[in-house]
Amino acid sequence: MSPGVTSPSKGKKDAEPEPEITPLVKMLQHAGPIRNDGSDKFYGMENFGNTCYCNSIVQALYYSVPFREHVVKYPPHSPYDTPNGHPPIVTPIRAPIQNGAAVSPTGKPKGISAAEAMKRRAAVNAGQPVSAQAGQKPEDKPDSPEYKKKHAMLAGPILELTYENASSYGMEESTFTALKDIFMALIANNSRTGVLSPQRFLEIFKRDNEMFRTSMHQDAHEFYGLVLNAVISNVEANFHRLKEQDPPRDDHSLALSMKAAVTSAATAMGLASGTRSPGTGWVHDIFEGVLTSETKCLTCETASQRDETFLDLSIDLEEHSSVTSCLRKFSAEEMLCERNKFHCDNCGGLQEAEKRMKIKRLPKILALHLKRFKYTEDMTRLQKLFHRVVYPYHLRMFNTTDDAEDPDRLYELYAVVVHIGGNAYHGHYVSVIKTQDRGWLLFDDEMVEPVDKSYVRNFFGDKPGQACAYVLFYQETTVEAMRREMEAEGPTEVVSATKQQETANGHPQPNGTYPASVSKPAFASSPEETREFVSLDHAVSSPLPMSNHTIPRILPSATSPQVPILDAARVKTKEAKEREKRELKEAEKSRKVAEKERQKAEEQKRKEAMQTRKDLLKSQDAEVRKALAASKHSAAEEEERRKREVNSSASTSETGKENGHAEKGFARGLSRAHKGSKSMSRKSFGFLGSKYGEAKTHADDTNTAVEGDSGPQTPEKHSKSTKDRFSFSGLGRKKSNLI
Amino acid sequence: MFVLPPPPRYPSQAAYNLAVQNGQAAPMIETNNILSHPTGPEYQLVVGEGTYTLKDDLHLATPPPHPSEAPIVNPNPLATTPQPATAGTKLSLLSLSSRSSPPFLYRVGTNQSTRSNLNSSIQEHPGEGRASGDQFPSSSDGGDTSATGSAKATLSIGSAPAFGEGNTFLSATGKDTGKRRKPKNNIAKSNSSFISRCIVHENLAKRLQDRPAEGYFAFANINRAFQWIDIASPQKAEHLTKILFTKGHCLCHDINQVTKSQSHIDLIMGFSTGEIIWYEPISQKYTRLNKNGLINATPVSEIRWIPGSENLFLAAHMDGSLVVYDKEKEDFPFSPDEHNSPTNDNSETANGKGDSSTKLHIDKSVHSKNQKTNPVSFWKLSNQRVNAFAFSPDNRHIAVVSEDGVLRIIDYLKEELLDLFSSYYGGLLCVCWSPDGKYVLTGGQDDLVSIWSVAEAMIVARCQGHQSWVTAVCFDPWRCDDRNYRFGSVGEDCRLLLWDFSVGMLHKPKTSSVRQRGSISSRLANPLQRAETSNTTASKLRSNSVVSVDGEYEHMIQHDVEPRATTATLPPVMSKVIDPDPLCWLEFTEESIITSCKSGHIRTWDRPRDSSDSDVISSST
Repeated sequence: MSPGVTSPSKGKKDAEPEPEITPLVKMLQHAGPIRNDGSDKFYGMENFGNTCYCNSIVQALYYSVPFREHVVKYPPHSPYDTPNGHPPIVTPIRAPIQNGAAVSPTGKPKGISAAEAMKRRAAVNAGQPVSAQAGQKPEDKPDSPEYKKKHAMLAGPILELTYENASSYGMEESTFTALKDIFMALIANNSRTGVLSPQRFLEIFKRDNEMFRTSMHQDAHEFYGLVLNAVISNVEANFHRLKEQDPPRDDHSLALSMKAAVTSAATAMGLASGTRSPGTGWVHDIFEGVLTSETKCLTCETASQRDETFLDLSIDLEEHSSVTSCLRKFSAEEMLCERNKFHCDNCGGLQEAEKRMKIKRLPKILALHLKRFKYTEDMTRLQKLFHRVVYPYHLRMFNTTDDAEDPDRLYELYAVVVHIGGNAYHGHYVSVIKTQDRGWLLFDDEMVEPVDKSYVRNFFGDKPGQACAYVLFYQETTVEAMRREMEAEGPTEVVSATKQQETANGHPQPNGTYPASVSKPAFASSPEETREFVSLDHAVSSPLPMSNHTIPRILPSATSPQVPILDAARVKTKEAKEREKRELKEAEKSRKVAEKERQKAEEQKRKEAMQTRKDLLKSQDAEVRKALAASKHSAAEEEERRKREVNSSASTSETGKENGHAEKGFARGLSRAHKGSKSMSRKSFGFLGSKYGEAKTHADDTNTAVEGDSGPQTPEKHSKSTKDRFSFSGLGRKKSNLI
Repeated sequence: MFVLPPPPRYPSQAAYNLAVQNGQAAPMIETNNILSHPTGPEYQLVVGEGTYTLKDDLHLATPPPHPSEAPIVNPNPLATTPQPATAGTKLSLLSLSSRSSPPFLYRVGTNQSTRSNLNSSIQEHPGEGRASGDQFPSSSDGGDTSATGSAKATLSIGSAPAFGEGNTFLSATGKDTGKRRKPKNNIAKSNSSFISRCIVHENLAKRLQDRPAEGYFAFANINRAFQWIDIASPQKAEHLTKILFTKGHCLCHDINQVTKSQSHIDLIMGFSTGEIIWYEPISQKYTRLNKNGLINATPVSEIRWIPGSENLFLAAHMDGSLVVYDKEKEDFPFSPDEHNSPTNDNSETANGKGDSSTKLHIDKSVHSKNQKTNPVSFWKLSNQRVNAFAFSPDNRHIAVVSEDGVLRIIDYLKEELLDLFSSYYGGLLCVCWSPDGKYVLTGGQDDLVSIWSVAEAMIVARCQGHQSWVTAVCFDPWRCDDRNYRFGSVGEDCRLLLWDFSVGMLHKPKTSSVRQRGSISSRLANPLQRAETSNTTASKLRSNSVVSVDGEYEHMIQHDVEPRATTATLPPVMSKVIDPDPLCWLEFTEESIITSCKSGHIRTWDRPRDSSDSDVISSST
């Protein structure tokens, strides 16, 4: 904060000194040597047109320390023998644009030229509505977010993640390997700041999830769930593949590590239900909690309990409430009656019942999804709830069961995914994340900016600008850690308070205008500019609010003069077009591939859906399968014990089965229907998918895959069809286990 | 006089400004307060003793933005500039008669302050600091007690010594006695850049003369305005005086109960800019203190006169410091280093490291010899924002709550930190003492009201019932006796909750399940044992902290969070949404409950009419 300091004098910023030091660079000026755990990398992420849902979630996942560490460490044995155990990473770096022929700082191979990069960017952004008049573009104003994003791109380095490294991890290319690529690239690069272009990750993700293939605005929470599930199934598939392929190779250590994973998972579960899949213990360990639903039949007074796993909690909101209170309501007693009656095994048939959900095991990372999007009365559209819902920096859960382990566990807020916009169909996502030792940062696509701790409180939902917290990430912590941190954060708090004071003094406005100083660039707020800002980032190609701008990106002619991105892009539209065409071809190819996969997956899914329906009707069926799962589980454990013995019959049969189903994240076999979190979340995504299928006007027929999975189209029907097993009303995505 | 509709609450000032620009709405001009009398079942509070009914709703007009403010159109929701502090409407109530003071509950014998072993007997003295404590004849015009010396004031508050007693330098400013001193500057004719304008009611003098003596005055802040209202008057919607400020918002204010009279009211206000104004409303004079943040530049979150003192008041700044000012002293730039002369065992500086939060850093002691200028004393609690504090009825302790979720009990006479408790989680937002000084209530971001026993140094119960953060708590002294307590709380959930708790209840077996697993109990200390150790004087006087290897207990005065399973919970006796906006203040008077909300609604709820007199627990007077 000392004003005398001038330039950051970082090795790779030699190209051209930045016009001004960004607050982030300023903050990092006197940072020590770069750590190799990735905790001091602060990269923006490039937006390819409405991919902010991805950027905000990936950033939040990156700063989920246990998750990052495990992603980096997994798989424990890569074919490459490097000091760190990581394969060597060579990330192409897109050159900064100022000096066209760009330096390639650390001697790393350059991916594509700067010009090309800009073209590509222009191309992917084609079709976005542009309201800028010629000559007056939003990024020209020094205080606008566009300007900051542009300069983040200019400053670089831009990590171009167009490659995939999956083979070096000894894994098939998947969402997990692409995510790992991102993390590894960030850790390996020796600049603290820059921009990362998660191209390959998105390609793979879109390949596997057709709902996300359009360039429309997507649901960040849905994305989060899909990514986590993909990670789980990828890791699981890899585990089984490894086991099957070459058990003798690194048999000992692999088995050891696997055993560790399994046992830790099993002990953490505290359940012998066999809902845990081997090899993915760490993902479950981090994110998975267990809910107990107690259902009491009001006819025969029989109480039944069922444990269900969850990866996140979706909570209903009320005006003027707190997250604490919403969580309490989540566990409030609920009547199952009328159309939502309970199928009582004891007295047989549908009966009225009382149901209550409590948390039996608390996860290490607690993701809370605030259900801000709600169907209107006529069920045709999702509307956004602007309820004021306050969330504290620290949290404990009131709704635990009596026998829960450590029911007073303390959580701290470390990431907030914010949705800006008036409804579910368009808008913008950013994330505000607490980093290990750099305080809170705002991640808005390419831009990263340090913010006050109090800034986190701007998203309760009552402030103008329609910015509301949408997903809250809490992680477990201790009182001691909290105290230590509070003492440490003190000085900055004081600074910010003084800053605040300065603002108040220097500006006679008490209610938030933004002084435009060089050292602290702020947002100007003239009417036309803000409008541009809104349309640029928020409205994009959503057909609903912007009917005159719904040019899909297939029409490259729409790009040229209006593209609001960067000057370089505007000049070379031809190339942009070509680039676009190439991309289209590629996309077409991958689509075809995906189509095949989809068909396969669909087949699977139909079977499974049928099976699911059967399950719902026949509870004994479930018991049979439960027993089956248990036996399988024990077989697996046995297999671990006899790790020296190759090809035990149990393991081969299991892995064989698993492998068949687990080829793609999308496919799911019957045997895996047991796995709590997955079936839970798959269900919920089906629910969401159908929501989207309904909502999105031009959703293509590929939707059927998802819909086939989820069965009925509307949530209402859905809940009806599953009423004897799950209750949706008021519970959202909490799901039972399909036991 | 026409009345404009109240300014739109949502979607915000910005949308309104836009509408004005587009000609869709008339530009906002200075509006008037609106008095309404809504009736119906939704405006009634049904409790055991009867039904409280809404008497009226006074909506204070939110002033339009100062002309120098550029209209803000659709402010960027991601703007990272820190926003200035604001606060909802809070009131300072003032009664000039002694009739409406609450029953005295603070007695010899019930006093638990043996922990501060300065003296053991404290005589009866006025209970609550705010709307009460009228033991001085209200007509006294100061006379010879005005010599600023807190030492003089000592005489009036029993045996509890005055703050800073014994420091002869402290009372050195008192030169001429006689008339009570007024601030220097005329607020109506001010050309200060801090004060925009001052609107005085045309018949102010007449209204002051005609009003009944026992009625309450209220001073209330809203946005950048500060209003003086006669809430006993039928025409209470017409303010007596309204001051509009330019830069700062008034966040907190307090009336001096010692010096108040028909002709003199000492009022202090703390601002979002850190500045403090001493204001005398009858003569319309004011003085600025901590001008331009000379002493501390962070916003003032709470401000109170030190009980029994004519001149000294305590202000909590948002950087975690508590500063005592003298209303008549000049400011002098203060930097802790110059004055850092530890006069107390506990004051040794920890060099900004380690267990700084478990100590009271005395950057300037009240016993300092340099007392010619402000600040009189300067304590640093932590680096976390102090949200509220309250003086104990025995005039010895302050309970301070802060954003890091810590409740501190401080013996301010000895400048010593006695206890440090933690909320269940989240910051603490409000605090108050029971009329007998035995218990402290806190409310915070865990949606709980917590009852703490000061003597036993432990939590008594957690009160569950709010659905959002608790913003204000207050005892109802008219419904408290030595075993039963009534208190109320309001919160961001727009609810008013009333609670009854009795001492007998406390010894009941815990309501919550005590089923635990080994892993938990190993992390917990035995609460009783810890309470005992921390009660001993020896442990309190330890100057250095006990840092155990596992870092579990850093200091004996620091108490760990009690788990839910072993803490009693208390349900409310009444819970009701009473306002469309989050509430931020409440107070009990003999006739009513008064609440206020963030957007300026002041609601008065009359106590049950019939049989209320028999129900009210008789006071000890």
